[in-house]
Amino acid sequence: MNTILKTEKLRVEFKTRQLGKATTKVALNGLDLAVQAGEVFGFLGPNGAGKTTTMNVLLGFIQPTGGAAYLFGIDVRQPIARQRIGYLPELTYYYKFLNAEEILRFYAKIFKIPNAEAEKRIDFVLKLVELQHARKRLIKTYSKGMQQRVGLAQALINNPDLLILDEPTSGLDPVGRMKVRSIIQRLKNEGRTVFFSSHEMGEVETICDRIAIINNGELKAVGSVSEISSQHGANLEKAFLDIIGFQPEAVA
Amino acid sequence: MFGFPPQTRELKMISPRKISLLFIALLIFCFGLAANLLPQFWRIENENHQSQNFFALLLGDSSRIFANSFATKADAYYHSGYYPTIFDNNSAFKTLHMAEDTGAVASHNSGEEENFMGPPRDWIDAFGRHFIPNRHTHLDEGGPTDDLSKSDEVREILPWLKLSAELDPHNIQTILATSFFLRTKMNKTSDAEEVLREALRSNPDNSQLLFELGRIRFENYADTFRARNIWEAALRELQKQIVQKKEDKLDFDDRFMFEQLETKLAQLEEYAHNNGPAISHWEAVKIVSPTPEEIQKHIDELKQKTAATNSPAQ
Amino acid sequence: MKIICAVAGVAVKELYRRKEFYVLLIVTILICLVMGSVNVFNDDKVIRYLKELALLLIWISTLIIAITTTARQIPAEKEQRTLLPLLAKPLSRNQLIVGKFLGCWVACGLALICFYIFFGALAASREHAWPLLNYFQAALLHWFALGVVVALALFGSLVFAAPSSNSTICFVIVATILCLGRYLDAVALAQSEPIRSIFYAIYFAIPHLEIPFGMRNLIVHNWPLVEWKFIALDAIYLLAYIALFLAAACLVFRRKPVN
Repeated sequence: MNTILKTEKLRVEFKTRQLGKATTKVALNGLDLAVQAGEVFGFLGPNGAGKTTTMNVLLGFIQPTGGAAYLFGIDVRQPIARQRIGYLPELTYYYKFLNAEEILRFYAKIFKIPNAEAEKRIDFVLKLVELQHARKRLIKTYSKGMQQRVGLAQALINNPDLLILDEPTSGLDPVGRMKVRSIIQRLKNEGRTVFFSSHEMGEVETICDRIAIINNGELKAVGSVSEISSQHGANLEKAFLDIIGFQPEAVA
Repeated sequence: MFGFPPQTRELKMISPRKISLLFIALLIFCFGLAANLLPQFWRIENENHQSQNFFALLLGDSSRIFANSFATKADAYYHSGYYPTIFDNNSAFKTLHMAEDTGAVASHNSGEEENFMGPPRDWIDAFGRHFIPNRHTHLDEGGPTDDLSKSDEVREILPWLKLSAELDPHNIQTILATSFFLRTKMNKTSDAEEVLREALRSNPDNSQLLFELGRIRFENYADTFRARNIWEAALRELQKQIVQKKEDKLDFDDRFMFEQLETKLAQLEEYAHNNGPAISHWEAVKIVSPTPEEIQKHIDELKQKTAATNSPAQ
Repeated sequence: MKIICAVAGVAVKELYRRKEFYVLLIVTILICLVMGSVNVFNDDKVIRYLKELALLLIWISTLIIAITTTARQIPAEKEQRTLLPLLAKPLSRNQLIVGKFLGCWVACGLALICFYIFFGALAASREHAWPLLNYFQAALLHWFALGVVVALALFGSLVFAAPSSNSTICFVIVATILCLGRYLDAVALAQSEPIRSIFYAIYFAIPHLEIPFGMRNLIVHNWPLVEWKFIALDAIYLLAYIALFLAAACLVFRRKPVN
């Protein structure tokens, strides 16, 4: 199979100062990941585990301290590596002085999509995220769910082969979640590769082909939902808690 | 990672109701303050009849600084922007050129008018001089175009002069320049006279103002009777001032004013064919003039003329 | 180039969809109209004081537009998290910086055109003349000076975290250059070492924005055109500073974490 996303011994350290003393926090420690073409890959971990840091490295937002990361076999430090990806951040805010159509046109220009084709793509993605009726409205008038759908639309404007979604349903109401989930399901059916992080175990169980669980910057488990569940003899949520070493008694 | 700040900011926003309350409170405070200050304002106004101008009242004593600054601005306009700053050698611009040109103010200028900036200090300075006015011109002589038909463009100095005079009615140079250019370049004699009369209310019996007023009566209306009266009054005031100073010698400005007044009176008497009084005025001019020989020559000519006119009758 | 233009286009749209530009233009027009209604001995041809006031207001307004618009570009993108989806596209950080600069500079240019049209109309209403080439020279160098200010503010926005502190520092620097830049060498001459050397170093290091600023006097007092070779040289001089500040901004932004 074709590996679309790959990390090799990825290490990220953050230098901080606490009470005037320089300290180093290891956010990722030797992370090895490989996502194959056409699969929906769930990236799980508790808060602070290193999910967003991994995504930030993949998207070139931060430089790794060690190791390497590749998208379509190209080093992520090169902008061209991001030509065939779509990214939806955890919290999406877009230029409030633009409307949905203008935002999508702007992003299409960055992908150097010819104008005529861009217009077709804009129509298509707006229809997909059910925002056609509000395409001329300024973003500042949108609800949170609508903004999240604009986020999805912009992530799809270049017809990407790989979608990187950072907790795409967080903060949405049940209807909004359902809409976003159905879009991901549709993309999966179209054979696209989706790499997404989530805290919603139900969502992960429904959509993902494979998952990876990280904790404290280290990869703890990788495999299909059924493999991981069966290894721990429980449902995904219990398996997850088991893997990250959560002790329910300690809380009690 | 968690993106809380934007939401927190929204939560911290002051509600419109609070803003309205704040606005109302501010309005009440402002009206209260105004009501409290108004009687004091009237009192100050009544105490100082001369401070009619709102800005002058508002600025207090500092109005004089602003007035000087505006007068300098007018002089800078008179030179179409070619004017020294505090960093340049401004000894050639100590007396405002526009005031000097009225003939009622003595010049205290020395130094280089054309080259107050001196040689370029470095390449940036040299280069920068291509982008600023770089030639000494006077607006009433056509300014940068040197086109004398455009001499009425001197009107451009008037707004600054007006502002300066309103802020400091005791700034005689400003008033003289305003009146002079209104009269000589703008053909606004009545306005020029009005400016002087207004200034005389604040500076009664000022010899320079009276001198200029006399010129209007003489040069524009050929009213020798009133011009003579005004100039003689000016001369009396000047003499009074000189006596009050109790100095052995006339100072430069008084000497200049005395010479101007006596010269004008002499010219007036000559114009009125009163050669006797004219000669006595020229004799007075001769005492203070830097070129007494020239004056003496003129007196001799006048005496000859008088003798010639008197002899056929004999 | 298409990518840079796309980024620039958003910055331009931001300018004309926000209120600042309209407010400043209207305030400038109102102040000029009020001052123009002053009666100066019933002479309706007096104009130079109004031209000077208008040009001063235009300079202040365009500096406000240039600094405030530019200073918030990158910080606002960070704060509103629009930077993340943007940098997740095949767009290099250098392209983003150049695009932002170009957008703000073009936006300032468009604002400048509106302001100078008003200025031209104001002057023509009393002078009955359109010295277009003179206005063009002044506006051109004004625009290049704004380019330096935009590049400086962009660089500042990457160094200082808060846009307000960046704006304040930029305003102070620019105002100091406009008021004192020309005389720093004269001040240096009056000092003793090592202050003299420090003043000289500052004098030769700063972009001399007072050169285009000083052109106001030529326009106000109807001086003849400046030789075009000097205009070109000054434009090149200002372009060099634009390039310098942009290069510095790119260097700072290259390895800066954006999340």
